[in-house]
Amino acid sequence: MSFENNEISIQSLPQIEQLQVTAISNKHRMANFGINILLTLLAIVIASFIHFQSLFHISPNAVKMVPIICGILAVIFLGKTIFGFFADKQKFYALRNQDLSYLSGLIFKKTVTQPILRIQHIELKRGPIERKLGLAKVQVFSAGGATHTFEIPGLEVDTAESIRQFILDHKDVAHHG
Amino acid sequence: MDEIETTSEYALQSDTNDNLTQTWQRLAPIAMCYFFVKLFYIFFSNLFFLIPAVIFGYKHIINNPWIWLPALLGVVIVIGLIVFLNFYFFQYRLANEHIEIRSGVFSKKHINLPFTRIQNVKLVQPIYYRPFGYTCLELDTAGSAQQEAKIVALKLSFAEALKKEILTTHDQNDIKPAEINVEQSNQQAVENDTQDETILNTRSLKDLIIHGITNNRVWIFLGGLAPFLDDMGRYVNNFFQSLGINIEQLLTFADKSWWQISLWALTLTLLILLPIVLFSIIGSIITFYNYTLSKIGDRYIRRSGLLTKHEVTMKLPRLQMVYKQQDWLDILLNRINLTLEQNNVVGQNFQPGGLNNKIMVPSITADECQALINNVFPDNTMESLIYTRISKRFLLRNIVYILTPLFIGLSVLAVTTGKFTLLSYLVPAYLILSGLVFCRWYRWGYARDKHFIYVRKGVLGVDYCCFPIYKVQQTKFIQSVFMKRHQLCSLSIVLASGAVNIPYINEQKGYDMTNELLYQVEESRRSWM
Repeated sequence: MSFENNEISIQSLPQIEQLQVTAISNKHRMANFGINILLTLLAIVIASFIHFQSLFHISPNAVKMVPIICGILAVIFLGKTIFGFFADKQKFYALRNQDLSYLSGLIFKKTVTQPILRIQHIELKRGPIERKLGLAKVQVFSAGGATHTFEIPGLEVDTAESIRQFILDHKDVAHHG
Repeated sequence: MDEIETTSEYALQSDTNDNLTQTWQRLAPIAMCYFFVKLFYIFFSNLFFLIPAVIFGYKHIINNPWIWLPALLGVVIVIGLIVFLNFYFFQYRLANEHIEIRSGVFSKKHINLPFTRIQNVKLVQPIYYRPFGYTCLELDTAGSAQQEAKIVALKLSFAEALKKEILTTHDQNDIKPAEINVEQSNQQAVENDTQDETILNTRSLKDLIIHGITNNRVWIFLGGLAPFLDDMGRYVNNFFQSLGINIEQLLTFADKSWWQISLWALTLTLLILLPIVLFSIIGSIITFYNYTLSKIGDRYIRRSGLLTKHEVTMKLPRLQMVYKQQDWLDILLNRINLTLEQNNVVGQNFQPGGLNNKIMVPSITADECQALINNVFPDNTMESLIYTRISKRFLLRNIVYILTPLFIGLSVLAVTTGKFTLLSYLVPAYLILSGLVFCRWYRWGYARDKHFIYVRKGVLGVDYCCFPIYKVQQTKFIQSVFMKRHQLCSLSIVLASGAVNIPYINEQKGYDMTNELLYQVEESRRSWM
């Protein structure tokens, strides 16, 4: 072992429980909220359209089944809307010299910490809605594999880009990436 | 052919890479065996689709027996042609520390692979190569599984020389002065040339039989036998009928007394178990026959196989975690399966190789196991550890909050619908599941020392894993609202070989562990491979 540093006690280490966290963009939360409401309404509209329309003939089975399926979907979307509204409030990120953290979860709170040293590559992802709102999602890949991709959604583009630049400029990434 | 012979000798004598041949060349004709077998495999794995053709053909053959010979001849010619063309269009060359392979009859493939990108070299020697001293050279590229390069037939000596060449090149290109441990591995690489191979472990036939009994290796057969299972069932039935035993009659219970039924049940279980165990033993022998684990410098090499000899090489820095596995039968016989896990991640561009990169040492004794672990992780304190068990709330959550309500709900449903027989299944199921949860809790524990984290888990068996802290890729600290109330948390520690979970531990310990993990990773700046 090349490195030893025994004098330091655990209490004096940087504490993950005292991170200076920043909330993700409120626009992200609002966009999610809007999309979920739209999906809920869409499901309700389709259900009632199929149920009440008499413009053209649909097989009676479909008239029975489609509203039920759409109704279930509407309930799911409604739940997602309400849950998302509160859960998106609980999404934070934190940047330290040596690592990135992402905190999330309403009931199950999760703090994922990614040492910058272990980052293999980094991606900014922007869907059409995110582009419209000027948001971006940062994805960070380590050797831990695709299932453990570290991801911070709903960042302002400038913030996302400066995070990316911070990681790319980090001296450890140049050596290990 | 001559060309290849001279090349191999040439390469053996050579010290520098420039001397490797630069012209395109074909494989030894023995490679045709390989292509033939491969064709055979493809044929059998697609047997299902050929069934209609076979049935149709069968009728035809019965009707026109004279067509038999020319048809067979035609098939032989076609197979021969395919094999020959495959062989003819497979060319490779080595130039400037690059390996190039051209292959394919209709869809051409051209792989160009720099030595530095090769992560792993495997020698696979099928049975039909052995008398002639040939081998397949498989190169795990830095890319995905589809891009894997394979040179199908090389003289064993040439392949060995080439392997050495590639691995040395790789080491040299690894040097980055900023990293201490890479320099170390380079020193070791230089030592490689002078160091001899030391054998760390071998497995005798007895060990393999034990391994076959304790571990189910039947799947090796089941894959190959799948098309014939139906027929086998019929044959077994016919066989018993010829002995005057009618299985179907045996299986109708109405007129039998309870002891007859239980005796039959026992016999039947044994009858089913016996062949399974037998096949499992044979499977174990096929996979692990002549097993040796040896070490050259920082490289661990596993060799085994009855029909096809496999050779897996792993460099020590690539090792992420050791995994000690004991099923309940293993505990009775006091044997351990030890797995050395490299990065396990498939489907990412920068990852070396697939799942067979693990080095497994089957059914070793506790002493041998500890010796091996000490060999790969010299500082570990696995022997003298005391594991901290996870919180009893794990039991509470799983039994009281999940299993019990489910059980009560189903029972109420069964009683109200009047299906009382259902209860006779529900009660034992509930008890067994609760018992299993208890076992799981009883096993699950963790420990750590200065350099390593150890996790113990299991249900009936017990598994231990041990990994160096500096190899951690990512940490996850998970805490539900309810866990927070009881100062508990769960940790998930991500390594390149997969995630290790430690649920329901003390909150403060979880924080401390995460902090120290991150500190060690970030402060030491050691490379994880």
